[in-house]
Amino acid sequence: MKWVEHIMGFPVSVDLRDSTPRLAEEVDRAFAWLHEVDLRFSPFRADSEVCRLDRGELGPDQVSTDLRHVLALCELYERRSGGAFRARLPDRHLDPCAVVKGWAVQHAADTLRAAGARRFCINAGGDVIASGEPVPGDPWLVGVRHPDRPQELCAVLAVRDQAVATSANYERGGHIVDGRTGHPAHGLLSITIVAPDLITADTTATAAFAMGAEGPAWAAAEPRCQVFAVDASRRVFCSSGLPMAWG
Amino acid sequence: MRRAIPAVLLSATGLVMVWQFEPAAPAVASPSSAHAGDATVTGTREAIRQGTVQVQVVFSGTRIADVVVLQAPDTGPTRHALPLLREMTLRAQSAQIDTVTGATMTSQAYRSSLQAAIDGRGSR
Repeated sequence: MKWVEHIMGFPVSVDLRDSTPRLAEEVDRAFAWLHEVDLRFSPFRADSEVCRLDRGELGPDQVSTDLRHVLALCELYERRSGGAFRARLPDRHLDPCAVVKGWAVQHAADTLRAAGARRFCINAGGDVIASGEPVPGDPWLVGVRHPDRPQELCAVLAVRDQAVATSANYERGGHIVDGRTGHPAHGLLSITIVAPDLITADTTATAAFAMGAEGPAWAAAEPRCQVFAVDASRRVFCSSGLPMAWG
Repeated sequence: MRRAIPAVLLSATGLVMVWQFEPAAPAVASPSSAHAGDATVTGTREAIRQGTVQVQVVFSGTRIADVVVLQAPDTGPTRHALPLLREMTLRAQSAQIDTVTGATMTSQAYRSSLQAAIDGRGSR
């Protein structure tokens, strides 16, 4: 069974293979959760918790547990990336989007799994959580979009119980800023990270893209992260353990 | 026309450079309407630490039909990386995939995307 809904400005697709009416209801609940996250954490909604915190309307003790968790994740990746990734850039509003997306979608997947779903794939605006196998014995085949050609792939990954996230600037032109310089990140066309969960994959991809040329090597050294990257000279880098699909 | 120029580098993290795209030619027709026919493009000879690498790419229209390794050192990571390049290039274009990863896909871009086509078709 397949679903698509547009949430937070991007499409979220769910492909559930072990479909029962009860699990289909769980998918509806997962979509409801993502809509709730959009309302609470969007930096584009004036009444969201994120905007109210940003304007100083919420004191430190009024921040929800969820937002506190998201802000802690932001801090963690700011430290790990040496400041290349920042949720709050100088003279700009608080924007934890890069972390919120991975965290919210991973939570949705965890909830589905806790309800008994084993074989499903969620694609949230190009970030993927692949649970189990689509058919017994086969991995999920995840195509990596070619950075220059939207309709073509430049690699195919074979994954089971893993998350895949890509960071690039081909659709929202230069929206990722290198927090160390305040300028749009350059040096990479796209970077794809395979990791055990989407929080790790998404934040590592964003931070590595913000870092630029040194991003792929940094990401490859992060625990349990595999890298596929195309740099500005269109050189392709893979970490040696990347689960490439060819067999 | 696109060329693939593989070269191999090893970093301390096990990161390997496997090949290099030529920048996309501007204003290329969509693959189905291309009339380029078959073409064979020979890459330049690339000197790497382990020796010299040269490949030839066979195009059918704008799609890669084959990648032929003309010259490659028979040692180290290159021996592993060149078959990988060939396999990846060919399979990436023919694989029956389940989903597509790509940077934040806007709802507008989604309509014409590969992911929308996958969402619209039945399960394999």
